[in-house]
Amino acid sequence: MATEILMILEKGIWFGFAALGFGILFNVPQRTLLIIWIMAAAGGLTKLTLMQCNIGIVVATFAGASLVGVLSVYAAHNKHAPPLVFSIPSVIPMIPGAFAYRMMLGLIKLSGTAVSNDTYYQTLAETTSNGLKTMFILMALAIGVAIPMLISRKETIKKIRHKPDPI
Amino acid sequence: MNRQNIEKVKEAEEMLLDVGTLLMSNGASTGRVRITVNRIAEALGYDVELLITSRSLMLTVTEENGSDYTSSVRRTPPHGVNFRLVSGISRMSWRIIEDKLSLDQINEEISRLTSLPHYPRLVVLSLVALAGASFCRLFGGEGWELVVTFVASFFGLFIRQEAIKKRFNPYLAIAFASFAASMVAGLSVKLGIGDTPEHALATSVLFLIPGVPLINSLTDLIDGNTLNGIVRGINGFIIAFAIALGLMFAMQIYGL
Repeated sequence: MATEILMILEKGIWFGFAALGFGILFNVPQRTLLIIWIMAAAGGLTKLTLMQCNIGIVVATFAGASLVGVLSVYAAHNKHAPPLVFSIPSVIPMIPGAFAYRMMLGLIKLSGTAVSNDTYYQTLAETTSNGLKTMFILMALAIGVAIPMLISRKETIKKIRHKPDPI
Repeated sequence: MNRQNIEKVKEAEEMLLDVGTLLMSNGASTGRVRITVNRIAEALGYDVELLITSRSLMLTVTEENGSDYTSSVRRTPPHGVNFRLVSGISRMSWRIIEDKLSLDQINEEISRLTSLPHYPRLVVLSLVALAGASFCRLFGGEGWELVVTFVASFFGLFIRQEAIKKRFNPYLAIAFASFAASMVAGLSVKLGIGDTPEHALATSVLFLIPGVPLINSLTDLIDGNTLNGIVRGINGFIIAFAIALGLMFAMQIYGL
């Protein structure tokens, strides 16, 4: 159990670095880098912990992305940058690269295999499954990140109060 | 309707077109482009209606208390990602409201923002390579596989930057990069470096994944900007296909 927890915590560090690399690639302002690292680690850890509890990858990703979305509102207020600057690099490590990659290989394979071939239907089933997983995980990411906006029904985070008004 | 007044509206319109096309080509979602342009126009006392497509921006600017209006269209430059610019423009839009910046000040700020430096090339290459190695670790790679992925991503991104400098088609540049990265990672599979070198091969191309087009695509679809969402999604799909193409070539060459 203890080693499992350590394994998951260690992966959090790598989630952070993956997001950091993309942050640099997207030329984010320097003041946001540390926050991006922390948010990506937090989102990734949420996803992995939930998956450890036998929750499906789509729901787990949704939870991770929602956490990133909520944190990005606070980060945006503190560091004065739009929330997408934080949220997009932070959720990129959760993008289903492996599923998308397998779906692509599957599509290419299908185009070169005769329908009568025995492996055709198996490849078709795998490709469909990988493609659908990719699609749903991406939707979970985008909706998760947008959660604060969708719930508060505000067009800009400047109008979401992050502290209660003093009365 | 006097000539001078129209000139003034035209000037404001040029600035709004600058803002809109810069946001659109640097990774902002359609909703954000519309909100930001509206916010700036409102602060300057104009009403604006926008038609935003992926590669062009059209707007009509009307004076709030007048009858003068003007329309124009501008082509949006090819899409890249520069969040420093997006963030800068967003901050500027709030300063326009709070500090009542004049049109000249705004234009000055825009030219300052567009000339802001990128991170040094070596820093970008190393950190993206580190991101590649992180992906490898997340997919269960160990030790030498991380090193292989680091080198492959570094080399792949270098090739992509060079291809873009030489003005290759952007999708082709991605295919080149994917080919270069998977040639490096494929070599490690051939030589049997590490326990499961397949991890290195599968993750060496992940630094190319079209994260911004795909997330923005879904964001646009949720916001109801369906057409732009579809365009972005297809763009992301072609990028994914280009990655697969480069990878397939490398795998064919090594006979994997």
